Amino acid sequence: MEKTVFVKLRHRVQVKPNATVSIGDISQLIGNDRHTIERLKEIPLYRIQPSDKNIVILDVMRVVDAIVHTDASLEVQTIGPAQTIIEVIYKKRKFSLVYFLLVWLLLFIGSGMAIMNFHEDVSMQQVHQRLYTMITGEKIDKPLLLQIPYSLGLGIGMILFFNHVFRKRINEEPSPLEVEMFNYQQSLDQYVILHENKESMRRIADD
Amino acid sequence: MPTIEAIFVIFIGFAGGLAVGTGFIAFLVVLGVIPRLTQLTKTMKWIHAYEWSAVLGAVVGGWMSLRNSVLYTSKYWLIPIGLFHGVFIGMLAAALTEVLNVWPILAKRIGVADKIVVLLMAIVFGKVFGSLFHWIYFIDH
Repeated sequence: MEKTVFVKLRHRVQVKPNATVSIGDISQLIGNDRHTIERLKEIPLYRIQPSDKNIVILDVMRVVDAIVHTDASLEVQTIGPAQTIIEVIYKKRKFSLVYFLLVWLLLFIGSGMAIMNFHEDVSMQQVHQRLYTMITGEKIDKPLLLQIPYSLGLGIGMILFFNHVFRKRINEEPSPLEVEMFNYQQSLDQYVILHENKESMRRIADD
Repeated sequence: MPTIEAIFVIFIGFAGGLAVGTGFIAFLVVLGVIPRLTQLTKTMKWIHAYEWSAVLGAVVGGWMSLRNSVLYTSKYWLIPIGLFHGVFIGMLAAALTEVLNVWPILAKRIGVADKIVVLLMAIVFGKVFGSLFHWIYFIDH
């Protein structure tokens, strides 16, 4: 027990280009001997190459290997994820306002068009005229009394679904959007872990 | 109408209704609007009442539109009806963009994860504006 080191890899780490990644950067270490732990944390594991592009996967086996090579008497216990995703941040992408406004306009006009096409597609004008007649008994061409609240409700419904207005007040649960972003990121991580990690697959033609 | 034909027509009508009804509920379930509403209002235990509300709404709406019923009441009832109608369609539309995974991909591609609310507002305003434009102006032309 005295010589046991517990290793937990971090899920995702950001580094600068040409940085040297040490064990302490990508993992948490726990052990009885503080001095040993500090020494282990300094061990360099990997130097980022320009050819790595922006994702590098480091396997837990590499960490164990480095620790065992430093001190063979240590027993290593690993906890948590089996690999760390290292993201190389080249330079902060500059946020362009023009670009953003263009996307904003694209979405604005696109969704406006989409809703108009939807209305035509389901003949909503006739349905609304009919509804007006059902309620009042009168015939009318433009039942705006129904249609203006409808249009406003459209926006309210979308905001309600994504829960951006009452976020703090109603509950702490993440909105569907946040869950969706999380799931997407998880799938991407899963993909790079398998595809960027040379250790995780072995092909016949590898040699 | 001879009995056998009447039975046949009843059967066809019933079968058609069954197919449309199951389709409608399947659509609601896939988009998850009702669970979202219960989550927002914290009324999970009333979920069965909500099921009945959707079923009764479909039945009453179907009945009234097929029978051409007329209520002869105040036209101001149309304001709350329109509002509810809009909120429902809005939630459907929001749920639909969600099923299609539009947001995460958009945010990743153009790298504006922190501005996503502003983009969401673009869609919301686009819908409201497009809808108003349609009813007030486009219909006449």
